[in-house]
Amino acid sequence: MSAGSRKSIADVVAGHDVVVCAGSGGVGKTTTAAAIGLLGATAGRRTIVLTIDPAKRLADSLGIAELGNRPTPVPVDVKGSLSAMMLDQKGAWDALVERYAESDEVRQRIFANAFYQNLSGTFAGSQEYMAIEQLSQLKESGDYDLIVVDTPPTHHALDFLDAPSRLGNFLDRRVMRWFVRPYMSAGWSGLRVVNRTAGALLRRLEDATGVSALADVSEFFNAMSALFEGWDERVKRVEELLRSRQSAFLLVATPEEQVLSEAEYFCSKVEEHSIALRGVVFNRVQSELGSDRQSMEEDAIVEALGRAVTSAATRRRLARNFLRYETQARGDQLRIESFRDQLSPAVAVATIPNFEEDLHDVRGLRRLQDFLGKPG
Amino acid sequence: MDLFDRQLIFVVGKGGVGKTTVACSLALAAGRAGKKVLLCEVDGLSRAAQLLGVDAAEPGRAGRMVDGVSVMGIEGSAALAEYLGMVVPVRRFLQAVTQSELYQYFVAAASGLKELMTIGKIWYEAQRTDERGGGRQWDVVIVDAPATGHGLQYLRMPSAARDAFGAGLVRREAEKVVALLSDPKRTAIHLVTTAEEMPVNETVTMARRVREELRMPLGALFVNRLHTEQFRPADIDALLAAARSSRQRDTKLLLSEVASRAAEESGWTRLNKRYLRELERDVPIPRVELPFVFSEEFGRQQLLELVDQIEAAE
Repeated sequence: MSAGSRKSIADVVAGHDVVVCAGSGGVGKTTTAAAIGLLGATAGRRTIVLTIDPAKRLADSLGIAELGNRPTPVPVDVKGSLSAMMLDQKGAWDALVERYAESDEVRQRIFANAFYQNLSGTFAGSQEYMAIEQLSQLKESGDYDLIVVDTPPTHHALDFLDAPSRLGNFLDRRVMRWFVRPYMSAGWSGLRVVNRTAGALLRRLEDATGVSALADVSEFFNAMSALFEGWDERVKRVEELLRSRQSAFLLVATPEEQVLSEAEYFCSKVEEHSIALRGVVFNRVQSELGSDRQSMEEDAIVEALGRAVTSAATRRRLARNFLRYETQARGDQLRIESFRDQLSPAVAVATIPNFEEDLHDVRGLRRLQDFLGKPG
Repeated sequence: MDLFDRQLIFVVGKGGVGKTTVACSLALAAGRAGKKVLLCEVDGLSRAAQLLGVDAAEPGRAGRMVDGVSVMGIEGSAALAEYLGMVVPVRRFLQAVTQSELYQYFVAAASGLKELMTIGKIWYEAQRTDERGGGRQWDVVIVDAPATGHGLQYLRMPSAARDAFGAGLVRREAEKVVALLSDPKRTAIHLVTTAEEMPVNETVTMARRVREELRMPLGALFVNRLHTEQFRPADIDALLAAARSSRQRDTKLLLSEVASRAAEESGWTRLNKRYLRELERDVPIPRVELPFVFSEEFGRQQLLELVDQIEAAE
């Protein structure tokens, strides 16, 4: 399919209430999410951008120093409104405990629990759970017409897709029973029935891994049971929301080989989750200029520059520089074309050039926004 | 500069700055210097193996050594199983444990355990002795760490484990790992960045966190994808003027395109220079500058260009 024959990313954004941006690290995902947010706000919608990346990139992108764990208005002149929010995991967990703990005593017990301290810290996995929680809260608040979600790098973006069902499994009643029964009476007893020696080994395993944590886990789930009961329901709702026609998944990529192979993997995963990919944004594309000069010799170019530039050495440098960029551009175009060819015609595409400057403020985002509006 | 004269080297950086490329080049340079190198990747994507053109072995196994470099993919749950295999030598019981549903949930619930096991496995490889006796199995273990945030989380795990777990096997082992990770004679954390706004911001933060929070020894800073050509504005203007006055369509087009690429390169060079100065000021550690490698496809030949640069810096 040739360029320009697909829908634009702006069209996709206009037709959805939740836009999830996924992709590998360093492809400009956060910046793209911010530009999409600006696009929505410019179109008059009440928009919020939620970033769950541990690095404070969105704050950088929006040129505001600190993003709290709550919606912060971004000072821009738009018809709608734009807010941004950074998912600070520890803060988000603490807020949850504050909200759901039955009493002061339970609250203090949870805060002091070693497993809780692990979970609510910076460890992988719990981030996605919290993102789901935030997304459902933002959606239910009714305060926003458009929610743009920036995700951690591909690996974790997949976790993000898996998180709802994984958490569902995790909180499966049968399993919960293991944890909520008082420690040691349940604990490893299921296995102990199987074999006495295995029981001894399991105690050794607990010792080896330092996991008196199992007692902590058990206590944690007991204390948090009020929260997790409602969670099951919320997870189901978010899962439905992500699969519904209100939500659009966008993939952000650059033309590098490794990035594109990860992107392919992501596309196949998205299908497995019966979530439809609505668009692809190619960032930092070295565009080819004018006609194809693949066959042009360095000497011929040096000669053509003859009268314009007097220094022979400079002419040589200019010609070499030109050819180096053409080589790079050709590679980028070939890789993008073959990737595009595998996409369904219904998927929107945007190609963003390799800007000579970093885009980290509203002016920069507006430049990017223009390209999101062009038909792919 | 000594870039790989350590037992253990972590290559850390923001996503997309070319961390894997630098880790691979460093490994090849160390291999050329006659070292036995183990290159570890922890993200499960086998990107290093792919870039070096070798087949990825199963997780936890060293692949065939090529040019002195062997690649290993490390995966948390496989590392845990391997570790338990050493602690619990009776296979039948071990299987009963690891195949039980409860064990699976236990691993999933004890968040951070997989990261801890990953670092544990890296430590094991770094201090492992050669089976035929004599010295260590590897002269240097190079780790292509996950992107920034997650990369530092891995490094934090051993000391977190040491502090969280009471007296016991894990605490004792965690102490050994922490001792290796914080020893500047045996370990170095190399940082990778590009000379652009966001990567530089993150690198400055990262360097501070490695020093102050993790208390681990910083090695060198690799500044990747540097543009170096700078053209005089007068030359670019002259090209544009010539393009305007030219009557031949092809020449017109060519001249303006050459001018545009010259301006583009000069722009990048200026930008890179500005951020190099920032890095010099805010991250005062030895620096290795690597060029942007223009190519239709980034493959082995392009990788070898970087190896040459690293050898020159070493």
